[in-house]
Amino acid sequence: MSAILLAGLYATMSYGLALIYGVMKIVNLAHAGVMMWGAYVAFVLITQLGINPFLAPLLIVPAFFVFGRLLQRFVVRRIMGAPPISSLLLLFGVWLMMQNISYLVFSGDTKAITTKYTLLTFQWGGISISVNRMFVFIVGILALVALRQFLGHTYMGKAIRSTAQDSDASKLVGINTSRIMEIAFGIGIALASLAGSLMALIFAFDPDFGRSHLLKGFCIVVLGGLESMIGVALGALVLALSEALSVLWLMPAMQDFVSFALLVIVLIVMPGGMKGLVDRFFSK
Amino acid sequence: MMAKETLRSWKLWIGVAVLAFLVLIPFLGILGGYLQTLGFLTFLYITLSTAWNILGGYAGQTSFGHATFYGLGAYTTCILALRGVPILLTIPIAGMVASFYGLLWGYPCLRLRGQYFAIATIGVGEATRLLMLNLDDLIKNNHLLKGFLQKGVLTGGATGLMLPTPEDISAYATGFYYGVMVLMFAALWVSWWVKKGKFGLGLFAINMDSDAAETVGVNTTRYKILALMLSAFMVGISGSIYAQYVFYIDPQTVFGFPMSIAMVLMPIIGGIGTLTGPILGAVVYIVVQDRILTANLNLGLIKLSLSTLHLLVYGGLLVLIILFEPKGLLGVHRRLNNWLKKGKIGSLMTTGKV
Repeated sequence: MSAILLAGLYATMSYGLALIYGVMKIVNLAHAGVMMWGAYVAFVLITQLGINPFLAPLLIVPAFFVFGRLLQRFVVRRIMGAPPISSLLLLFGVWLMMQNISYLVFSGDTKAITTKYTLLTFQWGGISISVNRMFVFIVGILALVALRQFLGHTYMGKAIRSTAQDSDASKLVGINTSRIMEIAFGIGIALASLAGSLMALIFAFDPDFGRSHLLKGFCIVVLGGLESMIGVALGALVLALSEALSVLWLMPAMQDFVSFALLVIVLIVMPGGMKGLVDRFFSK
Repeated sequence: MMAKETLRSWKLWIGVAVLAFLVLIPFLGILGGYLQTLGFLTFLYITLSTAWNILGGYAGQTSFGHATFYGLGAYTTCILALRGVPILLTIPIAGMVASFYGLLWGYPCLRLRGQYFAIATIGVGEATRLLMLNLDDLIKNNHLLKGFLQKGVLTGGATGLMLPTPEDISAYATGFYYGVMVLMFAALWVSWWVKKGKFGLGLFAINMDSDAAETVGVNTTRYKILALMLSAFMVGISGSIYAQYVFYIDPQTVFGFPMSIAMVLMPIIGGIGTLTGPILGAVVYIVVQDRILTANLNLGLIKLSLSTLHLLVYGGLLVLIILFEPKGLLGVHRRLNNWLKKGKIGSLMTTGKV
C-alpha cells in the first residue's frame, strides 16, 4: 500500500523529466537540484513562515515554473544545436551550483519537516495509512491528470506534443518551437519542484538528496516509455514495488541499490521500456 | 623562423626547470612537506584525469562511474594487504581487478549511446558504492560466503579499512611521491601513445560519428571497451596508491560520487580530448581545492569560509566552459594566442580556427 502511494510521487517526479526529454531531447540532470531546492523551499515556507504544508506547493510550483523558463531562456537555449552530451554536462554544472548554494544557505545537515500531520494516520480497511503519504499521492495524481488535460486539450499542450514528435515539422506549421521548449522546460522544472516539496513531507533531506531520486526518475522514464503518461505511472509502480520487495527480501540498506541496478538493467535490456517489451512479445 | 625556435627552447627550459623543481621538492622540504603532499595529489589527479580522458575525451563516452575503479583499486589493495600479500604486488592486481570490473559493466553499458551511457554510469557508480557499503552484512547472512570474512570483516562497511602505518613515515611518503610521479608520466605516455596510434584514431572516429566509424571498419564496441579497460586499469592503480598513501579508506571517500565528478570535471576544465588539457585541468582542480579549502574571507561583517564553495566554483566553471569554450582552458589559451597574433599580423590570420 505504501508502495502504491509512493508511486504517485515517483510518477510526478519522472514526468517532468520525460517532458523535458521529449520536447528538447536533453537529459535534465539539474532535475535533482530542483527537487532538492523544492524540498528546501517547502522547508522554509512551512517551518519558518508557518504556512500550512498542504498549501505550500501552490506557492512553490509557479515560482519554479518561472525559474525553469529563465534557466531555459538564458542558459539551456544557447546550446540547443550542440551535441546532446554537452547539454547534459551543462545541466550537471547547474546542478552542482544549486547543490553548493544549498550547502551555503542551509548547511549540510539533514533536515526534516515535522508538522502536526506527520504522525497522523487513518484506518482504512484494516490498514493504517499516513495522512501525509495519502496527501502526497493525491497531489501527485492530480498534477498528472491536470497535465494530461493540458497536453491533450489546449493549443499549448498540443503544440508541446507536436514539438516533442518532430520539432522541425512543428516549426513548418507555424509553432514557435523555442517558446514551446521554454514553456515545456518550465513545466518540467515545476513538476520537479512539486515532487521535491512533496518529498520533503515524507523523507528527510540534505543538499545531496536529489541524486538517488533522479536516478529513480530515469529508471521510471525508461521503463514507462516517453510518450505515455500511463506508462510513466506503471513504471513508477514497478519501481516502488520492487523497492518495497527488496526491503522484505534483501535488507533495507540495499533498497537504493536495487533501484539503481534496475536502472542499468532496464537501460540495457529493454530500451523501449515495458511497451517495447510487450510489442516484441506480441510480434513474435 | 628564428623567433619560433627561441620560443621553443624557452619553453623547453621552463619545462626542465619545473621538472627539476618537482624532483627536488622532497629534498628541499619547503613548508614542512606541504608542497610534497600537494605534489603527490596533483600527480595522482593528473593520472586520473588523463585516464578518464582516454574514454571520455578521445572516445567521447562520458562516464560518471569512474569512482568505481578508483574504489575497487583501493579496496583490492587493502583487502589483499591485510591478508598478507606483499603490498607492491597488490598494485598491478588492483589495476587488473578494476579493469575486469570495467569489462563487466562496460560490455553491456557501452552499447548505450551518449546521454544514456552517462546515466547508466551514474547508476553503476551509485549501485557499486551501496554494494560495498553493505557487502559485509550481505556476506554475513550467507553461509556459503562466510569464509571470506576475516574476523568478520571484508570491506569493513561504512567504517572502511585501515592499513598499518610504516615506521619511517616520511621516507615512505617520499617513495610514494616519486612512485606516483612515475605513474603520472606512464599515464601521459600511454595517453600520447593511444592518441598517436591507430587505436586513438579509431576512438576519435567513434567520438565524431559512431555509425560512420563502424562503416569504415572500426570495431566500435571493442574499441570502446578497450578504452574503458585501459582507463579503468590506470584509475585502479591510482586508487591502490592512494590507499597505500593515506592508510585508510572508506566507501564514501573512494567510491563516492564526488570522486567521479572530479574525474569528469578535470579534463573538461582543462580541455577535453587533448593530451595537455587533463594536466592543466588537474592542476587547476587541485590548486582551487587546496586554496579554497583553506581560505577564509573576512569581509568585515560577514566571515565566509570558502571551504563550502568548491562545488560552486567547479559547477560555474563547467557551465561557463560548455557555454562559451567547449575546448576548455586550452581553447581559451588558443583563442588568446590567435587574438594576439591577429593584432600583430592582421590580415594573415583571417580564419578563426576552432
